[in-house]
Amino acid sequence: WHPSGSHIVAGSIDFFRVIDVASGQTVQRIMVNHQVEKAKRECVVWAIAFLSSGTVVTADSFGRVQFWDWEQGTLAESHTVSTSAALSLAVSEKEDSIVVGTSTGATYQLQLLPVKLGGLEKRWVRTKPFQFHSHDVRAVAHSSTALISGGLDAQLVIRPLMEKVQKKGYDAVLRKFTFPHRRLVSCARKARLLLFQFSQYLELWRLGSTEETGKDGEVLPLCRMPEHLVQLKSKGPEHIYCSCVSPCGTWVGYSTASRFQLYRVRCDGDGVSLRKVPKVPKMLPPAYQLQFSADSESLFVASARGCVHVFQLLEPGGCKHLHTLQPPSGCSEAVYLLAPSADGHWLAAVSGDWAIHIYNLKCFKHHCVVPTYDCAVSALAIHPSTNNLVIAYSDQQLLEFSIPEKQYTSWSRALQSWGLHRAWLERDSPITHITFNPKNPSHILLHDTYLLCILDKSLPLPDDSALLMNQSALKQLPETARKRQLHAFKICKKFQPLLFMDLLDENCLVVVERPIMDFKTQLPLPVQQKKFGT
Amino acid sequence: ISDQKPLGCWSVKHGQILTCPVVCNFETHEYIAVHDDKVLRIWKDEDINLDKAFKATLSADVYRIHSLPQGGPVVLFRGGGVRTLDVLLEAPQQEIENIISGEAIRWSGAFMEGQQPVLIFTTEKDGDFFVYIQKPKLSSLHRYKLEQQESAKPLCFTAHITNQTVTLLCLYSNDSVYHVLVPLQQDTEEEEEEEKEEILSKSLLLNLSVSGAVLKGTSLVVLDKDHVGVLGSLAAPGKKPTECLTIWNTKFQTLQTSKELPLGTSGQLWCYEEKFFLIHGKVLTVILYKCETSSLAAAVGKLKNSQTPDVSLFLNWNTLEDEELVVSFQSQESLALKAESRMNLRSRRSTVAGEQPAPLSVGQLLINYKNASAYVFENELKKVMARAPTPDLQATIGSVVTALTDRCKGNPKYYPTNFLQQIVENHELSYSLCPDLMAVALEKKDMPLLQMCLERFPDIPEEVTYTCLKAFLSISEAQLQSLDVNVDSVICYIDVELDDKDVKTEIVENGFSSEMDQDMCDTKIPEEMGFTRSRGESCPVGLQKAALLNAVLHSAYTETFLLPHLKNLPAQQAILFLRYLYYLYVKCSEKVNTTLPGIRSPTINQIMDWMCLLLDAQFTVMVMLPEAKELLSNLHKFVRAQVRFYSELNKIEGSLRELQRLNHLRESQTYSIEVLEII
Repeated sequence: WHPSGSHIVAGSIDFFRVIDVASGQTVQRIMVNHQVEKAKRECVVWAIAFLSSGTVVTADSFGRVQFWDWEQGTLAESHTVSTSAALSLAVSEKEDSIVVGTSTGATYQLQLLPVKLGGLEKRWVRTKPFQFHSHDVRAVAHSSTALISGGLDAQLVIRPLMEKVQKKGYDAVLRKFTFPHRRLVSCARKARLLLFQFSQYLELWRLGSTEETGKDGEVLPLCRMPEHLVQLKSKGPEHIYCSCVSPCGTWVGYSTASRFQLYRVRCDGDGVSLRKVPKVPKMLPPAYQLQFSADSESLFVASARGCVHVFQLLEPGGCKHLHTLQPPSGCSEAVYLLAPSADGHWLAAVSGDWAIHIYNLKCFKHHCVVPTYDCAVSALAIHPSTNNLVIAYSDQQLLEFSIPEKQYTSWSRALQSWGLHRAWLERDSPITHITFNPKNPSHILLHDTYLLCILDKSLPLPDDSALLMNQSALKQLPETARKRQLHAFKICKKFQPLLFMDLLDENCLVVVERPIMDFKTQLPLPVQQKKFGT
Repeated sequence: ISDQKPLGCWSVKHGQILTCPVVCNFETHEYIAVHDDKVLRIWKDEDINLDKAFKATLSADVYRIHSLPQGGPVVLFRGGGVRTLDVLLEAPQQEIENIISGEAIRWSGAFMEGQQPVLIFTTEKDGDFFVYIQKPKLSSLHRYKLEQQESAKPLCFTAHITNQTVTLLCLYSNDSVYHVLVPLQQDTEEEEEEEKEEILSKSLLLNLSVSGAVLKGTSLVVLDKDHVGVLGSLAAPGKKPTECLTIWNTKFQTLQTSKELPLGTSGQLWCYEEKFFLIHGKVLTVILYKCETSSLAAAVGKLKNSQTPDVSLFLNWNTLEDEELVVSFQSQESLALKAESRMNLRSRRSTVAGEQPAPLSVGQLLINYKNASAYVFENELKKVMARAPTPDLQATIGSVVTALTDRCKGNPKYYPTNFLQQIVENHELSYSLCPDLMAVALEKKDMPLLQMCLERFPDIPEEVTYTCLKAFLSISEAQLQSLDVNVDSVICYIDVELDDKDVKTEIVENGFSSEMDQDMCDTKIPEEMGFTRSRGESCPVGLQKAALLNAVLHSAYTETFLLPHLKNLPAQQAILFLRYLYYLYVKCSEKVNTTLPGIRSPTINQIMDWMCLLLDAQFTVMVMLPEAKELLSNLHKFVRAQVRFYSELNKIEGSLRELQRLNHLRESQTYSIEVLEII
């Protein structure tokens, strides 16, 4: 779109068009490859941008970034940034900087700079090359302080523009993200099943077990091996957007961009049967998040416009729409996180505007809104015994909100006034899952990609001078000396990268790692390389 | 030009003057010159002495000869008469009409319009300019008067033809370029209007001024539909005028680029195939140019591509070792004497150009000309080959070559080396098409032709390959020096200065380092080692011989058929060949990718195969000969070092694999139950 909304520019093979929004007609069609000698090859315009000056910027398969005056149909500037294709393009808000992603994994910054120092005439100049990806950079974004790129090597990289960053802090450091900040694994606690969500299929596994115990760090012999029960392939090319297994392990639901499916899983002895639940109510758009209630009798489906649909699950395999929960003031954003309470009384729902609405499920009424905090919610959960809602924000803040009292708890206030440890705040991966230990109400279990943490509310909070990750230090101390060193954050970094963690029972924690090398080695080589010798 | 080497040089006798530019007839590859206004000379590449070349004296003064790609040469006389060369040669003394009275020709140009040659020329009389258009084949003539321009007159003309219209560009003395459209009328209409004088109007195309500076142009060439090149002196107010070559965009009226020529020029500018030719100082300078498709962005210099029309290269004839060409710009006469004394004369062939016969079948033709003179014979064969490609072209050429070789066999003095080379070079021949060719070449010791055949023919019998190899090995280096062997395949890797010790400091990238060598021959003393190394590094044969041997390495063969022949190779030659193969092998191993640089250089597999084959064939001889002993031991050591090196590499690769596997094993332990204590 042109920033004024008057025109749309559309890239194509060998040319791009400019379409007038008012008339809907193509007002300009510009060939992009007439200057190339090897014109036999077709030139794909992979990315395009429309500047408010009327300049159209194209990134094409010949590795060029070109600037066109669309009204004249003339090429103003052409920069060959790569020998392979330029795939993606993003313009800064001030339109003085452009980031380009290429198929070799390199990204380049182009800046509009004066030709002479202090002069008025400006030109686009390729300024900074970056190579943070090993494969195609398919998406780029340009924030006011950083270049953001996403590649086929399954990485999202945030590269700060040092000249735009005033002080040393979170923004001034290069960040790499490998996993989406979403829950990709769900756990049926009672049935001890794990459901893994892949892009096109789901896998249901039964966990193995042991009868032994041992000392810290010991690997115990298995008396039952883990068992792959079912692989459930999604039909069609769409990726699976969200999935969930019920706590009892007999219901599995997933949703793609267009369809929501619910299955009944029965395990009798060695056999596993999977049956699709017929006549699932059609919803458009389908689910953004799925969550079964603790008693596995109802299913909550997060949907668009702040709606949460409540389905009643029927024996032997049916479902019925019960109610649609909606914030009283309305909401334009979709719900992306759900947290039901263990007693089936409450449901917390977070929508894209970061508002957390709490509903009463007994009477299907809106209960209250958590005071808004200007940051995305990355995880939330309701404590099974106190009905306190624990919320983790993407800026690493933790809050505890009492649902019955409709206010923050005193512990939460104490934590806020004390402040979180600096090392905690400087982590760059958000908390993606929160769970509780039913046997020890003061424990909150949290995890991000690099650590899992048991937050013990009964212990004192650490101050900045204390060591946050103190587990290995503690282990070396005699038991009597440990007491004084304990603090509320019990952090374990043994499992990395951590995809999922949940508590099965009082003594049993399930942890899912996804080694990066596992999928890195499966990626094809971006460039074919020769081997030595004859 | 790329070699910066004169391919031929001819001069007229002392006292004679070449009076118009020499042209080349593209169809027959003959050169045509005129000296002393009336004397026509026609000769070929092979002819050395111009004085003995074909000569025809004409009845009128020649102004210029134009050579057209498909139409043959056209002769323009001072009096405005035009004849095609063919017509003129039928009767050299024919009368030439005078159609311009008192007018002097200022410029002329020629084009093909369909199948018709068209000649355009401009004349001047008392400040008036006239344009003539002649079609000599139709004997049609048009005369136009050029519209007058106050206080300015044309300095230079150039023209091109598009859609039946001649566009004439005129550079005027008021620093402007005008263009004039001259219609090419159909011949039927022309009769009635002949009496009336038609005036051609002109329109301004381009003003040669840029930001105050004015270009005083002397020459003008058209580059494409939007660009012209102008040579002239740029005069900015308050500055000394400098000569420069400029490219102008006529569409946007802008100066595209310019190049200063501080040494001065002759004021002339030629342009062929995207190259400017001009005389800068005392050297002929060739400047490549490239014109972008005209866009506004390009015109204002906003096109940020590397391909901006720019002066990118010029070749300097000054770098020639041979001074002749530079000299030729200074004094023609001195050259004439020098050249004559230097060049050795070769026998002159026929001077009479054959009449064009009706196309005959090839067989018939070959029989007809069996007894014709060599020149006529060759000319006829060339005509046969120049015919439009037919399905049996290969067979035709094959029979042509057979005819030539038969003639060679019949007449021991006859051997058309250039002609044969041309045929082999330009046509996809094979051994079976002309089985006698290589035998004749071997007999005549025509090494360049043999090289060409070995590189090109896919089906040479092993016996012939062997004979070639033997011939190559036995010919002396001195004899080879005088032959024109193509050394492309060796020039990139052979150390030419063998005596220069500094050359040897090249870093060995792969395999054969001095440490390893020491390691291999633990019992040898250092001096001996130094000796063996130098043996390995200097090429045992000269450049030409190496190139010929490479051609043998490249040829296709079957081991079983070649082996018996190789057994017959004399021992000394076998050792020399092995020494060369060893040298190639060492050279190959220096590079990480084990390939030699250059075009058609042998691959490591070819080298190894030939080495094995030669050793198989000559093993007993090699073992017996004392001089082979050292070579074999060096070769053995080197191969052993290479084998060790690669086995080490393989070990490393194996270890890396194992590491990777171990790593994978550890990771594949996908499920475990562990005890984790959190305090």
